[in-house]
Amino acid sequence: MIGLVILGTFLMLIVVAYMAVSDLYLSGSVVYFMALGLGSTVLYFIFSAPDVALTEAVIGAGVSGVVFLVSLLQTQTREDEQ
Amino acid sequence: MNLKKTIKLKTLLSALLVSFLTLTLLGVITHVTDVHLTLGDQLLDLNRDKTQSANAVTSVVTYFRGLDTLGEVTILFLSIFGIGIGINRSDQMHTILHYDNPLLKIGAKVLFPVIILFGAYIILHGHLSPGGGFQGGVVIASAFLLMFLAEGDAYDLDHRIMTLFESLSGAGFVLVGLLGAALGGLFLSNPLPLGTLGRLFSGGILPVIYLFVGLKVASEITLLIEYFIRTRDARDA
Repeated sequence: MIGLVILGTFLMLIVVAYMAVSDLYLSGSVVYFMALGLGSTVLYFIFSAPDVALTEAVIGAGVSGVVFLVSLLQTQTREDEQ
Repeated sequence: MNLKKTIKLKTLLSALLVSFLTLTLLGVITHVTDVHLTLGDQLLDLNRDKTQSANAVTSVVTYFRGLDTLGEVTILFLSIFGIGIGINRSDQMHTILHYDNPLLKIGAKVLFPVIILFGAYIILHGHLSPGGGFQGGVVIASAFLLMFLAEGDAYDLDHRIMTLFESLSGAGFVLVGLLGAALGGLFLSNPLPLGTLGRLFSGGILPVIYLFVGLKVASEITLLIEYFIRTRDARDA
């Protein structure tokens, strides 16, 4: 049962990584990247690394996504001005 | 036509993914309850007489490799310092990611102390349960991020207090190390009594170091988010 869960999470992570690379919009890529962090959290937790899972849940699925999104918004504003 | 089809497929796939991950996380949390027992029993035996800490990861991070943690904290401080220099600041700052939504405002006000409390719990129980200074500090910073998203320009962050916390906690880390050098002979050695395993006041200097690391990480990541999320008022000018 747990093997099926691990396999499914791995497959989903590959699909999400492909979608993050191939998305038309950069903001969509950031959202898929955050979903990648969520899936990594599940895998870290299954593989008995709750410390790393906690870090990944906050940084990978939260703060880094917001930082990427804000950088995207700021650079787009600069481009519109010119 | 082809474009429309791919977008629909992606929406379907992402909905599938989110439901799958949520169900998996729920199932894992309810079924795997003996995480502490499987987390390196041998390491626990090794560090029991050295640190009396229930979390082996914490004793590795703050005691066996305490100098590396000091280096990590220094690198984090230098990177935030560089961002603070590089960002072009002025008096009129404009929050770029902000939703003017009353529901979000009230929810953020209710959730803010709860998230702060959760982060403080993770920091203070770093030597007993998974987590520690870094994780709890980022949780506290995410509470400030929520306030930035909800309140926007109205949320005023006191830079003086943030910088005071940051410098005092960094100096406190070094002072604890020097105290160990003065009393125990080596930098970051343990002069405090170890206590009994599993109690809050146990592990000697491990909770003290993680308290300083947590305060430092919380103030630094909050300043980082503030630097990134606020820009000069360029769009309205």
